[in-house]
Amino acid sequence: MTDTFQNLSVNISELPEVKHSTFFGIEQKYLSVTLIVTGVTFLVLMVGAGCIVYFSDEIDNGLTEFGLALGPLLLLWIGSSLYSIKAFARKRYSLREKDIIYCKGLLWRKRTSVPFNRIQHAEIKQGPIERIFHLHSLKVFTAGGDSSDLVIPGLKEENAQKIKEYIMGKTALDGVDQQ
Amino acid sequence: MESISSKYASPTRQSRVAIGIILIKFIRFTLRSFWPLVLSLFIGRKAGNSFEEVIGYVALGIAALNLLGSVLTYFRFYFHIEGGAFIIDKGVLKKTKTNIPFERIQTINLQQNLLHQMFGVVSLEIDTAGAKKSELTIDALRKEDAEALRKYILEEREQLVDKTSQESAQVTTAEREEEVEETILSLSITDLFKVGVSQNHLKSMAILFAFVFSTLNELTDDVEDLVREQLSGFEEYVVTNSWIVFLGSVIIVAIIAFLYSLINTVLKNFELKLSTRKRGLKLVRGLFNREEISINRSKVQTISWSDNPLRKAFKMFTLEIEQASSAQADQLKAKIKIPGCYHQQVKHVVQMVFPFDISSEHEKHRVSHLLRYRLWLTVSLLPALVVILPAYYFWNPNALWLLLWIPTSLLAIELYYRKRSFELTAEMLRNNKGTFGNTHEIIQLYKVQAVIIKQSWYQRRKNLATVELSTAAGDISIPFIAMEKAEALENYVLYKVESSTEKWM
Repeated sequence: MTDTFQNLSVNISELPEVKHSTFFGIEQKYLSVTLIVTGVTFLVLMVGAGCIVYFSDEIDNGLTEFGLALGPLLLLWIGSSLYSIKAFARKRYSLREKDIIYCKGLLWRKRTSVPFNRIQHAEIKQGPIERIFHLHSLKVFTAGGDSSDLVIPGLKEENAQKIKEYIMGKTALDGVDQQ
Repeated sequence: MESISSKYASPTRQSRVAIGIILIKFIRFTLRSFWPLVLSLFIGRKAGNSFEEVIGYVALGIAALNLLGSVLTYFRFYFHIEGGAFIIDKGVLKKTKTNIPFERIQTINLQQNLLHQMFGVVSLEIDTAGAKKSELTIDALRKEDAEALRKYILEEREQLVDKTSQESAQVTTAEREEEVEETILSLSITDLFKVGVSQNHLKSMAILFAFVFSTLNELTDDVEDLVREQLSGFEEYVVTNSWIVFLGSVIIVAIIAFLYSLINTVLKNFELKLSTRKRGLKLVRGLFNREEISINRSKVQTISWSDNPLRKAFKMFTLEIEQASSAQADQLKAKIKIPGCYHQQVKHVVQMVFPFDISSEHEKHRVSHLLRYRLWLTVSLLPALVVILPAYYFWNPNALWLLLWIPTSLLAIELYYRKRSFELTAEMLRNNKGTFGNTHEIIQLYKVQAVIIKQSWYQRRKNLATVELSTAAGDISIPFIAMEKAEALENYVLYKVESSTEKWM
């Protein structure tokens, strides 16, 4: 690691490492939100597929036809639910002195780090199903476009509020530093 | 300078020529939105309908409306300067008053199309760091007035900005002294011609095809019928001599595409001149539509330069400067392409905008050779299987010719892999890539907005990762490097961003 890159202004091995910072998991209840959202999506799809088979003149209303239309969807539903359950533990976030980090993904892992002094603004959001579980998402915007925006779902209200204030305090502080 | 602020202290109208210029803008707008209608009316007339008079009245009515509209627009458009802000008061039916404080003005660009040039006026565009509707245009001002106005506003703005930060005040006074403009690049006629000849002609061919088909689509519902009708006499000939016809049309299309991109380039980049300015660069170019673009050094996010096999023969590069942009609509404008730069000029620009020497040697970090396999699979084999097998079985045995895609893409992937590398210095990251040509891009590390590390299950097995650095002008991606390297890069870039207090935009 020490000799990965040369001629930099600091020794990289002395820098704080993102992967060794303390990560927190999100609220367990968020898993239910994910499962319900997937469930609703697949139910809508299956009802749609069922309607097509039922109302179409060219397709018979036999058990085989319904099975062929709905079976794959059911399998996909089960598969994606299992994947969500497995991948849930990978959703973790970390707050450091100068940046915020969020990781996710089981097969395709992704870790996004946004320095506080590049944050444009932060907002707390709540979808309809999140509302049932009293959960909130924190969304952090940068000037870097959609791919660099960071969303931490499944936070309790006081937690989301606390993190947002922490971030906004830090960005304001950086603003003062600059002048 | 006092005279400017007093001259524009009270609401002022534009130069009188503006009426004509607004009129032409109106007519162009009307034609652009209604031309299928106009055309169909004309075709209807040819067919012998008695619409003739109606058409005449409609045309007259539209022309009168346009004229009235442009006159009213002219008389209801005022601008002035008041209390460190630029104020525009306009609108006939819906009156709007816009107040732009100087410090929110990003750049002021002057433009001249053919009409402007005839009357010695320019149009003035004000870009602000605002939300979606981020620009305002004054259609016609006398050239010297516009230049003086721009100079005044930009100087006032600087003083306002300086007041808020004393630290940078010293820097700007130092910079103000070296206000001399120095020409970096001025494209000669021969160079311009070389640029036109070495344009990507395949791209203009695609544009032409798209244009022709969309036009035909708008005119007739059934393009095929039209073509068949037009070519009915030739049909027999076409069938018996299909190879000759095919070759002939390929040659004709190639020539048209070549001329199209040549003429387009010459018109757009005529008398191109790139020079240094106080806080960045200034670009002037164009024959019929003369544009002047200012580039602010601190707003530049990435610089890239690229060639293609044709350009390489002329030793020329296309320089591309991307600036930060808030609104999505401005994205095109934020990307400035300057063709026909020689190595020395690219070097000069990069040196000026970012302090970086492009000819200095740095350690090149290659990407993993496993990237090849991934690309073979996703670019070469999978598309081939998905397209060619069904085509062969259900459509035409000749589809097997498409199998040529596999060796071609394998060759391209090999070239791409060999050129793919990146270099890291204390302040910069340089990305090198390309298949048939070469592209190099540079970013300043402290301007990065977010660092993203991605790892697929395959990459994890091989201990590799992909790093993405987001900037305010798009993402820079480095695929398939060792996880340790990716993490070292992540830590270092975050450190550079977090320890920097410089303005990144």
